Amino acid sequence: MEKFKVTFYPDNKTVEANKGQTILSTAISAGIYINSSCGGEGVCGRCKVILKKGKVLTQPTGRLTLEERKKGIYLACLTTVESDLEVEVPQESRLSFDKLTPQEIELRLRGVYGEAEDIQPSRSLLEEVFVHSPLATKLYLKLPPPDLNDRISDLERLYREIRKKYAIPIMQTGLANIRRLSELLRSADWKVTVTLGKRNGTVEVVLIEPYDTSERNYGVAFDIGTTTICAELVDLNTKKILGTKAIYNKQAVFGPDIITRIIYAQEPDGLEKLHHAVVDGMNQMIQEFIQEKSIDLNDITCVLCAGNTTMIHLLLKIEPSYIRREPYVPTANFVPTIRAAEAGIKINPRGLLFCVPGVSSYVGGDVVAGALSCGLDKEEKLCMLIDIGTNGEIVLGNKDFLVSCAASAGPAFEGSGVVCGMRASSGAIQKVRIDPQTYAVEFSTVGSVLPKGICGSGYIDILAQMLKVGLMDKAGKIKIKDHPRIRETDFGKEFVIAFKEETAIDRDIVITEADIENLKRAKAAIFSASSILLKHMGFDFKDVEKIFIAGGFGNYLDIRNAKIIGLLADLEDERFIFVGNSSLAGARQILLSYPAMQKANELAKKITYFELSVDPHYMEEYMSALFFPHTDILRFPNVKDLI
Amino acid sequence: MIKEYIENWPGEINTVTIGATSQEGGTRRFSIKVGKEKALPFLFKEGTLPYKPVIAYEIWDITPSDWPEELVKFYKDVWADPLDWAEKVVKEYNADLLCLRLMGAHPEIGKSSDEIVKFLEKILKRIALPLIIVGCGDDQKDNTVLPICSQVAKNERCLFGEVTQDNYRTLTASVLADGHNIIAQSPIDINIAKQLNILISDMGLPLERIVINPTVGALGYGLEYTYSIMERLRLAGLNGDKVIASPFICFVGQESWRAKEAKAEEKEFPQWGKASRRGPLWEMITAVTLLQAGADILVMRHPEAIRKVKEYIELAYSV
Repeated sequence: MEKFKVTFYPDNKTVEANKGQTILSTAISAGIYINSSCGGEGVCGRCKVILKKGKVLTQPTGRLTLEERKKGIYLACLTTVESDLEVEVPQESRLSFDKLTPQEIELRLRGVYGEAEDIQPSRSLLEEVFVHSPLATKLYLKLPPPDLNDRISDLERLYREIRKKYAIPIMQTGLANIRRLSELLRSADWKVTVTLGKRNGTVEVVLIEPYDTSERNYGVAFDIGTTTICAELVDLNTKKILGTKAIYNKQAVFGPDIITRIIYAQEPDGLEKLHHAVVDGMNQMIQEFIQEKSIDLNDITCVLCAGNTTMIHLLLKIEPSYIRREPYVPTANFVPTIRAAEAGIKINPRGLLFCVPGVSSYVGGDVVAGALSCGLDKEEKLCMLIDIGTNGEIVLGNKDFLVSCAASAGPAFEGSGVVCGMRASSGAIQKVRIDPQTYAVEFSTVGSVLPKGICGSGYIDILAQMLKVGLMDKAGKIKIKDHPRIRETDFGKEFVIAFKEETAIDRDIVITEADIENLKRAKAAIFSASSILLKHMGFDFKDVEKIFIAGGFGNYLDIRNAKIIGLLADLEDERFIFVGNSSLAGARQILLSYPAMQKANELAKKITYFELSVDPHYMEEYMSALFFPHTDILRFPNVKDLI
Repeated sequence: MIKEYIENWPGEINTVTIGATSQEGGTRRFSIKVGKEKALPFLFKEGTLPYKPVIAYEIWDITPSDWPEELVKFYKDVWADPLDWAEKVVKEYNADLLCLRLMGAHPEIGKSSDEIVKFLEKILKRIALPLIIVGCGDDQKDNTVLPICSQVAKNERCLFGEVTQDNYRTLTASVLADGHNIIAQSPIDINIAKQLNILISDMGLPLERIVINPTVGALGYGLEYTYSIMERLRLAGLNGDKVIASPFICFVGQESWRAKEAKAEEKEFPQWGKASRRGPLWEMITAVTLLQAGADILVMRHPEAIRKVKEYIELAYSV
């Protein structure tokens, strides 16, 4: 195929592109992130670039004015490379983190390559419901040595001994294990520990080790999010959580959301790079676990992943491109259990990798795990689970039915894409109060240390308080001037939450109008998705008895403030139950209980998925939710009196 | 026989009064009321429609450079002085409402605030009609000039514009202090229209002092889209949503005369017929359609088109 050189300005970066490749995908391969909210469909018109030199082919679009066309402006997603090119990417076409200075980008992405941090263990509402039956079980066996009266084969002998403890009709063992079985049994004096793994409906002898190692059997549960990866190290024998960690998903450098990442996966080596980014992150967390807890890598016998469908595709290096194309079909929702090593995950080389099955392209195993841990399918009355993440998901139903939908909320509530955002880890401002007269700010941080940034629950508090004390109008614009905490910048106004001297970092912690806009879009996406899903089923918010709120908010989320900003519906406080990272909690339960895994399979099949993008009312709902708390204030009768 | 079905609306469109007479603290000869509809346009059986839609002549403080010949021929004799222009439409064309566009303030033309203020003072003295005063469209400049104009015209109860969701605070504050009304402009979007009304009334300006510019397109340029947005806004208002129950102002002239079909010269498209019929017809048809959508104030340019639309309104109200 013919190749051309494309140079991007003002970055002055040159990359090679195939003839016919879009400028959008070429830019991404040069590490330049262009806005494309529509995912490269030519609809949003945000990916404007200026052609300085060279030949291109483009498609007609109503997103460019005649004047712009005359100036040589093209939409990067509709325009293909037909010769060597020089292209300028104007500031307004760049993704927000490109607008920052290199120092700021470094600060922003600090978490991306930073060390994994300890976070709060996940909670589960149904801790004791599922019987203890981990996906990998170790069994210490003392086999009677063969003699002339008992001449069954070594492998049959092993099976016979296992069956004395468990009634397992069908077992399988890999050839590698069988090849070394005879020597192993004899050299270990017929005393061995076998690891049994539940694999695709049968039981496999995963591992045979000399002597008794049954005390040491660990698993890692992962929640792989678009922005954040969380993990728990679990003692599979005692069910104890030995450690909990979180890192930012390293894939963020290839794009902030799943759509840009899927586009990037189409690049040469794109899928490979995305795959490595997530696997590296997971391996890093496992390494830190074993060092901190002084355990042996070989004693980690299985890993379980709950993630959105795209994340699981990328983890397993499965082609994700049809997820973003109508009719939005993934390659697989149910993926078989494989050896972790096949995906590059470093645990015991024969250890297993399980993935929680997903429902559809945009409702993945993370949601299934969350629904499982909240016990939605056991409820008599109507319940709702709202998972506030980059890809926000909603599940509605009870024991009779379950429906779900997804909303692209963006990473703001996970502390990404906002200037001073961070995860809910040590030093994150998580609770805020603003004085109505002086605008003085009181806050508390995770771990009660000096602040380093603001996490999702902190942002919810800040927005609600700014609205209440009149610092911000209902459209999210800062309306006060002439106050030491309020400053004009090139990107609009900002409000200082903590001055440099009060922080653990070398700068002020602020919230900007652009941050507010991002948070507003995120809350609007979540609220409108829940409200459309209810409408679909002929219900209203007031019909919902319990609303489970999940998300990486740490230990704290002020439900009232979430209502004031219109993220949550205006219902009695008692109806809301904050469950934290329900996906990780569900993942841990599944890791510890095969019946929970079966339940997850059942749920994934049972949940009906609604595609919001084809719903003619969704955009309307979303637009009216782009206001604090909502354009239709009658839907927030109690909030009305508060602000 | 099928019984005639009469819709009964629970709501009512807000009433906005433009212009203050001497009894009301101003110097206008009369004031004009718009709004107060209790039915969809022209459906007199459904409810009362006490005030007829009004038409404002569009006057600039400078000579427009891009108006087509069909308009130029009416105004070129008075364009040397915008005051004469205003006087001509009042005396010759019997205008009862003027819309002053302070285009001279635009940074590309660069009139100073002082010049604009002097012009406005003269207009107020010479013309005793209720006034609509709109800025040049450059937010920064409008935020400097319009507050001063608002002060100069204090208590005259003008209709000032325009504010948008991103720029509403400065002008709203002035208008609130000086007793005027305001035009809230939204980009053909029912939600933003409502949000802007909330933001403005949050600042203390009563809803009875807001007129919505829903942004319109001319015939062939999105007129049907405009129509459906206006209809939805009006239906919401009539259904009792006070926040959105504002009268509409539509800049018909500005949009119609941008259409190629209205402004193209005869020699360019001889098959399109006479420019002297084609242009005004385009403006007229756009205007009449918007009246059907619920327009309360039409800002227009062509005297003949205006005369015809006035006739149309009279006819419709005489039934």
